[in-house]
Amino acid sequence: MTRYKKQDPELTRRKFINAAMGGAAAIGTLSLISTLGGAKPVFRLTPALAPPMEGDVLVHADPSRYGEPVKVSDLGLQLVRAWPQGKDKNGSPVIRDQDPTSVLAIFKYPAGQIQAPTNMEGTIDGQIVAYGDRCQHAGCNVGNNDQKPGLMNCPCHSGQYDPKLGGKVIGGPPPAPLAQLPIKLDGDKIVATGFFLSKPYGFNTEDDWTKYTAQVKELLS
Amino acid sequence: MNQWLDERLHISRLNDKFLRKAFPVHHSFFLGEITLFSLIVLIITGILLALSYEPSNSLVVNSFDPGTADKVNYIPAAYHSALKINAMPFGDMLRRVHHWMANIMVAAAVIHMMRIYFTGAFKKPREINWWIGMLLLIFAALTAVTGYILPYDNYAYQTVGVVYAITKSVPWVGDWASQAAFAGQFPGAGIIPRIYGYHIMLLPGILLALTGAHLLIMIKQKHTQPQYAKRLAYKKIVGVPLLTQQTPIMLLLALLFTGIVLLFAAFIPVHPVEVFGAPSSTPIPNIKPDWYLLWVFGALAIIPSFDFQILGGTIGAEFVGAMVFPGIVIGLMFAVPMLDISKENNYYAENPTDHPVRLAAGTAFMAFMLTLSLAGYKPDLIQGGVLTTANANAVLWILVFVVPALTYFATVGIVRLIRALREADERDAAAHSAQLSHSAADD
Ligand code: FES
Repeated sequence: MTRYKKQDPELTRRKFINAAMGGAAAIGTLSLISTLGGAKPVFRLTPALAPPMEGDVLVHADPSRYGEPVKVSDLGLQLVRAWPQGKDKNGSPVIRDQDPTSVLAIFKYPAGQIQAPTNMEGTIDGQIVAYGDRCQHAGCNVGNNDQKPGLMNCPCHSGQYDPKLGGKVIGGPPPAPLAQLPIKLDGDKIVATGFFLSKPYGFNTEDDWTKYTAQVKELLS
Repeated sequence: MNQWLDERLHISRLNDKFLRKAFPVHHSFFLGEITLFSLIVLIITGILLALSYEPSNSLVVNSFDPGTADKVNYIPAAYHSALKINAMPFGDMLRRVHHWMANIMVAAAVIHMMRIYFTGAFKKPREINWWIGMLLLIFAALTAVTGYILPYDNYAYQTVGVVYAITKSVPWVGDWASQAAFAGQFPGAGIIPRIYGYHIMLLPGILLALTGAHLLIMIKQKHTQPQYAKRLAYKKIVGVPLLTQQTPIMLLLALLFTGIVLLFAAFIPVHPVEVFGAPSSTPIPNIKPDWYLLWVFGALAIIPSFDFQILGGTIGAEFVGAMVFPGIVIGLMFAVPMLDISKENNYYAENPTDHPVRLAAGTAFMAFMLTLSLAGYKPDLIQGGVLTTANANAVLWILVFVVPALTYFATVGIVRLIRALREADERDAAAHSAQLSHSAADD
């Protein structure tokens, strides 16, 4: 009898230690997770971080001509990479080059080549068309297709797009067409007339993109 | 002096326990050591590099090419410091040694694991060390990738973009996780400090801790004994003691190895940051990850695109190709010790040809990884005219399955042949000695 009596408190002590260790581990994990919360900084939208939007002038992204407005004479079957240039609160120009999703590719084709599903309203005379230049697959910058001028080729996993057909995927793994940016000619400058017409790379659904543009409008206008 | 130390530190116990550890005499047992030496050289060169590196992606004026007053040439501070390191005496050399060592460390670790696998050294009681070894391999790869990002040239920028995208592709939590891991939306203002912290503190800490555990367990469990030990002294540990016999061999090997890598680094340039230039939106044609990640890249290149929604989460080709599929492959490797559920402890390294299925499965697995890596060259194959855009995926998919299958059966066939020859040899030898003893008896 005495033996059993002696063992009982031993057991509860063991139980207590186990519970204490479990409790400590749980509290430790929780506090670790709460500090992890600080790992993600707050997102503050600034004009430089904004996506291309109505009224933005398209300027060259290439380092040699950085910031010069893109002219029609610069364009052709080889893509011209551009950033949107908007205005900050004081009205001075800002190049929106802080979010890589904003980078653009502009093409000019002979009349009649650009066809649906391209949004024809968003082109200039059905000849000049602009797209977001980040691949819908993993966000690499899409370049020219060296063999077939006028088509686009992603260097990362050989995704291929046809800018004449609304940025349609014609090869490789990308899950969605490139996002078209509606543009018009204003004097000799090319100007955006709105947001991307579909979700650019980095947004999971069209819904996410519409919500984001609504937010951008509210914050920056 | 020995006594003085002994009274305080109990050196004799340490001596008996660790310093007399017997090392098997066989060259394939040096692979683990080479991995360890690379880690040590990596830490030393890494510290030296860290002394001159500036972990920041804020823009500074490029002191080598300041531009003009109205068009100042700004580049990220991290990239600027990489340029400065290159301009330092032997700075470029330091970067090259660090780079080549990293590659060699992963290579040596992979071959070391192959040795373990093919000789059955992962069997009971060494399963835990196989798992720790797998973790070491994974963290070594992560450390290498974060190291690629630090110079913050255009190559690094494009790479980190893809790594960010892969993290983001995880359903439900991806958005939060990628922003938490990379300090905000790509490329956040704090991305380089964050990755610097990973590369010089977090990941090396993990690597060192795991390496320590790996070695301690190895010392406790002893190496598997090579076959000759069985003949020499059954169930006894055979080998040369760490002190004093193995130590000079190790030192010699370490020096020779480091010397070879230095020579190598002197003649083969790596990762020319000047050529890639500062981060920009210009893509790098045919950009590829390092060889040990090429198989993931290959899988991404041939998995056709799809995506669907479950419970508000998006599951896409990228997630499947870059997370699920490597997860399965790594899971399989983790499961290797489960393939053998013998109750007995394994003392001796096995002859691979005595286990044809294991051997064939191993070679088939390697063939699988190699064909997937080949698939990573898809854009180049198309450009070179070997494949066309239309047939590339189909051809590569077929290769990915057919080549490993062929390798499997070829290996089994070759093993059969070897064993047949060996048995014939043994029969010959037996007959011969029988004849000899026969004739000897006759005389
Ligand atoms: S990022 Fe463009 S194809 Fe993968």
